[in-house]
Amino acid sequence: MFKGSGRYAAGEIDRRTRELGGSNNAFTSHDSTAYYFSFSSEHWLEALDIEAERMDDLTLDPEEVDRERQVIEEELAMYESDPWDALDKAVHRVFFDDHPYGRPIVGKRKTLGAIDAEELRSFHREHYRPDNAVLVVAGAMGAEALARIEARFGDKEPGAPARRALPEPVRPTCADRVERRQGDVARLLLAIPSPGADDPDYAPLRLLLTALGGPRTSRLAAKLVEDDQLCVGVSCEITESTEPSMAVVAAELLPGVEPAVVEERVQAELARLLSEPPSTDELDRARRILVADWVFGVERIHQQALAAGLAVCLFDRDYPERHLARALDATPDDLARVAERWIRPRQSSVTGWSLPE
Amino acid sequence: MSSERLEVRGRHVDGAPVVAVRVWLRGGSRIESTPGQALVTGRLLTEGTAQRSWREIATAAEGRGMALAAFGDLELSGVAIDALAADWELAIDWSAEMVLTPAFPEERCAWAIRHAQGELASLADHPEASTSWAFMDQLYSPHPAGRPPQGDPASLASLDRLACRRFHERALAGGVIVTVAGPIDPAAAESRVRERFSELTGELGEHPSPPPPDAPEPRRDWPVPGEQAHLFLGRPTVARADPALPALRLLSVVLGAGGGLSGRIPYRVREREGLAYATHVDAAAGAGLDPGRFVAYVGTSVGSVTRAIECVREELATLIAEGVSEAEVEEARAYLLGREPFRRETARQWADLMAASVHYDLPLDSPEWVVERLRAVDRAQVEAAAREHLDPDGLFITVGAPAT
Repeated sequence: MFKGSGRYAAGEIDRRTRELGGSNNAFTSHDSTAYYFSFSSEHWLEALDIEAERMDDLTLDPEEVDRERQVIEEELAMYESDPWDALDKAVHRVFFDDHPYGRPIVGKRKTLGAIDAEELRSFHREHYRPDNAVLVVAGAMGAEALARIEARFGDKEPGAPARRALPEPVRPTCADRVERRQGDVARLLLAIPSPGADDPDYAPLRLLLTALGGPRTSRLAAKLVEDDQLCVGVSCEITESTEPSMAVVAAELLPGVEPAVVEERVQAELARLLSEPPSTDELDRARRILVADWVFGVERIHQQALAAGLAVCLFDRDYPERHLARALDATPDDLARVAERWIRPRQSSVTGWSLPE
Repeated sequence: MSSERLEVRGRHVDGAPVVAVRVWLRGGSRIESTPGQALVTGRLLTEGTAQRSWREIATAAEGRGMALAAFGDLELSGVAIDALAADWELAIDWSAEMVLTPAFPEERCAWAIRHAQGELASLADHPEASTSWAFMDQLYSPHPAGRPPQGDPASLASLDRLACRRFHERALAGGVIVTVAGPIDPAAAESRVRERFSELTGELGEHPSPPPPDAPEPRRDWPVPGEQAHLFLGRPTVARADPALPALRLLSVVLGAGGGLSGRIPYRVREREGLAYATHVDAAAGAGLDPGRFVAYVGTSVGSVTRAIECVREELATLIAEGVSEAEVEEARAYLLGREPFRRETARQWADLMAASVHYDLPLDSPEWVVERLRAVDRAQVEAAAREHLDPDGLFITVGAPAT
């Protein structure tokens, strides 16, 4: 998408962006691909022109495709040499089996080698269409903005196929394990199932996991880092995806700490979420952290555009407010209920270890 | 530089209801007697005060959604607080409590030391970061810029709470900068800061200069885990206040610091030769009180190291021999001018910019000054900066690669 289209030769999009004092980039997740620009307000129409053009006039020169494949192979090597990235990839593979969420987004050497310009052209033709895309413009774009967007995109042909339903994610049916050896430090990634991000359970589960593995006074951080001093750091994250996915507990151990001790304590804290759900104080704290994170996360116009784009692309424009309202309304009983439903590590989880070589 | 022991800046920033408070003490690893001392001391500021334990501080902060960070880096130590705007007074009060009445509890000091040792072990597992520090050591040692802020495991082990307390007293004596930004009344914020920090009076202390770098070895091979090679090429350039800095910033963009895949070195290494996914360039990285550096990074396969070095050298040689075009200079200038508004969007950015302005005694928080400085650079100055600072035969190289 950056390597040539109609009026923009390979590299020209970046050069033009730079010339106008802007920045651009793109990222891909399992659910969506996003392209973004940020310009001072007098130049935003250039971004519109670029997106309008590369939506239906992408060059895809076979030589450029070959060069980019080489570059992606280097990207693969970069991820493999990072112990967290490599462990995350291994855990995803075991957790999701053949489901697309289990595939590395960057691909595999074997599959990359088989992709040619024609296959990319076909993918682009099929999916890069206005009825499969969301355009967000945020900032001081002026009163004529919608007319200008209409002028550039209004005549584009729809025709993207209906979004394929993904196969139902196969949750682990046991306490599965994966171990690898890399580096000198032990790292744990314990994955459990989680609902899709618009499921009513998602916000209470996120609060529950903040109480479990959020900042310093959360249960795991207090236990494993601050008090027992076994780990350099510990965290909990929940994937924000359209389909049911995974939540993870991550811990990096101090040298000399026995991995089994940390694993046993993580399991104990997960079990304690059921026997002793977070108190009102813990819930209030988690809620406050979540609200502050949300406020800090939309300070920049770029962040606001990105959040709106992902909301509309994956759910609908009301999703962020709906999610926040669910979090604010969650009660201790809601947290106890979602703990009962989702925190079942001995029945459904993947425990991944990256252990010293 | 100001002779005031306490420098205060407040600024009203519209936008999200966020207030940012920064307290910077002019004392980082540049003035430490034991490597790691600034980092451990800085971090201990949130680990307990005369009034509260670390747990009481953390519980209260998290209960208000406040983000507290305490730090010690090369030039500074201190605290940074990001809070919801309604808590601006509390954020100022707590920052004063942590900086003026730290308790340096013995058990938290021991933990901070052990934690930093753990971070060093972790760093060794990350090949790019590990190679980056080997490169810094090559360029700057024995200057403290040449080592991670954690120092090394042995130096950390020799620290104790008294060493931390002594360091903090020295840092306080060097001067304190407090900035507050957000949807606040700046005069009210400044007044509250002056009241809470009123004990900071008296003469500014003098800090000795750190030792200068030795002459670097031309090339260092550094064993790293993994399969990829990590290549750093560079050399020291200029400090933040140097008049050549704006020209070097333009050169950075010409060479590849302009984002995307543009710039001579990323274009050559990644786009034309397909040698790397990750490549970045900066002609004045880390420019502060002491000289920064020109650095070009390439993450590539082991078999492509020689070629990647050739590519970077050739691009620099071409730049020096043939110069830059007017169009390139104008493009780089437009890029840097265009990015300026994005460096001043949030309360947090303004709080950092104001503190940096005081610390470096430069009006970095004035958009007009920054723009004027960039506009004043011409093509001849860019080419002169390239000739002076980017000689391809004068580069120092660190290659991080798996041991064979």
